[in-house]
Amino acid sequence: MMRRQDTISQIGPLIMLAAGLAFAFGAIATLELGSFRRMGSGAFPLMVGGILSLLAAIGLVQNLRAPMETGKADPIAVLGVVGGVASFAFFTPMFGVLPAAAIAVFATGSAIPGFRWPMRLALSLGVAIGVWLIFVRGLGMPFVAVRGL
Amino acid sequence: MDLISNLALGFSTATTVTNLFYCFVGVFLGTFIGVLPGVGPLAAVAMLLPVSFYLEPTTALVMLAGVYYGAEYGGSIASILLNIPGTPSSSVTCIDGYPMAQQGRAGVALFATSVASFFGGVFGVIVMVLLAPRLAEFALLFQPAEYFSVMVLGLIAASIVSSSGVLRGLMMVCLGILLGTIGVDVNSGDTRFTGGVPELRDGVSLVVVAMGLFGISEVMVSLRGATKSYAGQNVRGRDIFPTRAEWRRSFLPALRGASIGSFFGTLPGTGQTVASFVGYALEKKVSPNKAQFGSGAIEGVVVPESANNAAAQTAFIPTLTLGIPGSTTMALMLGALMIHGITPGPRLISDHPDLFWGLVVSFLFGNFFLLVLNIPLIGLWVRLLRVPHYYLYPTVIIMICVGVYGISNSLTDVWATLAFGLIGYVLRLFRFEPAPMLIGFVLGPMMEEFFRRAMLLSRGDPMVFLERPGSAALLALGALLLCASALPIKSILRQLLKRA
Repeated sequence: MMRRQDTISQIGPLIMLAAGLAFAFGAIATLELGSFRRMGSGAFPLMVGGILSLLAAIGLVQNLRAPMETGKADPIAVLGVVGGVASFAFFTPMFGVLPAAAIAVFATGSAIPGFRWPMRLALSLGVAIGVWLIFVRGLGMPFVAVRGL
Repeated sequence: MDLISNLALGFSTATTVTNLFYCFVGVFLGTFIGVLPGVGPLAAVAMLLPVSFYLEPTTALVMLAGVYYGAEYGGSIASILLNIPGTPSSSVTCIDGYPMAQQGRAGVALFATSVASFFGGVFGVIVMVLLAPRLAEFALLFQPAEYFSVMVLGLIAASIVSSSGVLRGLMMVCLGILLGTIGVDVNSGDTRFTGGVPELRDGVSLVVVAMGLFGISEVMVSLRGATKSYAGQNVRGRDIFPTRAEWRRSFLPALRGASIGSFFGTLPGTGQTVASFVGYALEKKVSPNKAQFGSGAIEGVVVPESANNAAAQTAFIPTLTLGIPGSTTMALMLGALMIHGITPGPRLISDHPDLFWGLVVSFLFGNFFLLVLNIPLIGLWVRLLRVPHYYLYPTVIIMICVGVYGISNSLTDVWATLAFGLIGYVLRLFRFEPAPMLIGFVLGPMMEEFFRRAMLLSRGDPMVFLERPGSAALLALGALLLCASALPIKSILRQLLKRA
């Protein structure tokens, strides 16, 4: 009987197998393969996709014999980072880069234990000022710093 | 005479106010970022890559190179003060650096590190000046088959250093190559694997991949793990100078370390970590003070530092002259060159002598800045280690977001970076290291180009790769490396270290 953890560890090589097969079949189905002399645009991806699938298949067998331990996911950390980046991407068109940066820092900081909101607020303001100084004033990047200003 | 005129050209390029300024900025930021445990040269270079797009190619490279070896140096500060290596290559420095700090001699260890890094760096630059033009001349004899084979060799070397095994390393290399095929094929004009997304016609951006795989996923891993404040030891100015006996004891070890580092830096895939391990193991064998090793011997700090800084410089030799990055950080440097429209390879020295020689001479200035910057700032770095890390990670996220967004004012790139961050995080959970993937991604398009050209020239005969002696030798070397990787090299090195 396989342990649950051993089954989970198979997911890694399976992802690789899926990626290899996707590129190989994608090349066959949608691209020109050409000849050995004049290779088409699909020949190289087909070759590398095939090699990746083969390696992944070997990895699967190897993993069945000696399962590799997987890492432990930290969903709160992932949510914090996803929340931060997504906030930046979502709020930039609405308010401009600086408010979006401040919101993103606040969102990411909320995933860190012990990082209280007054400190988060102070860091958000500090980072927004830093972005303005370095990227807008210093490097002259053509951002909309604050929409409407 | 040639060498002197080339160096004169290098000096005139490197000593412009702009280049000196950005060299200083790079070294300072690199040290600043490298001091923080877990954030190595790779993350530092990745974070500052978008900023470099706004600079001239030479200035951009000078700054990124400064970030790179500044971060390498900064890594040793955390090793000595906290016993936490800032970079993998500075893990050896912990062995004697931390005991020195425990004995109240952290200042001496940090001072010795600065001087040894400077010595190793300058030694590496001299090796580079002498060796790089010769290697480039030799590489001019290469034809597409040899180029393809040297890239295969580089990719195998990149995959065997993966700590989760060569098989997983190879899979990641292949995945990187496949990602590099996304976009318009330059030979046929066909659009490949874009899924109808118009933004993907130009391919996936190197910055997006690098920032996602190394920046975003790194923060996901570290965000909730390092919230405590680090308290370092106070270091006073008068406590940092070694004794006269220690100066005498350090010279030959520094020379040996720099020689070993210069050699290993030129080999793709080995780099600074192996250089500092081998340097330390050898020194432990030959040193008259071998009994003190492990309990605070100054040689134990000097050797790994001179070795890894020499290797950091000579790693540029294959990157610039062959277009083969020896490490992931070098792959980013290569990417930065290509983004600026410069093709690395044997013609780089003759086509862009100001860039090559300016960069080489800037290394000398960069190493000098490291020396003069770090001795008075040792106290500042110590205080930086006490800053709680929860200030750091949200700031890093914003640096990444603004940097990626700033390249082409595209929020699609920001979303794509997040997607690569999640991919990198999931792959790390399943013990797939992202580093070989990035090298595959950078080399993939060039590799395909040379493969197709070699096949065209040989009229479709794949035996061309084995019939040409140069190509066959490179492929044989790659096969040998693969076989050798079946041996547990790391545990052998560790045993050597123990036995020595």
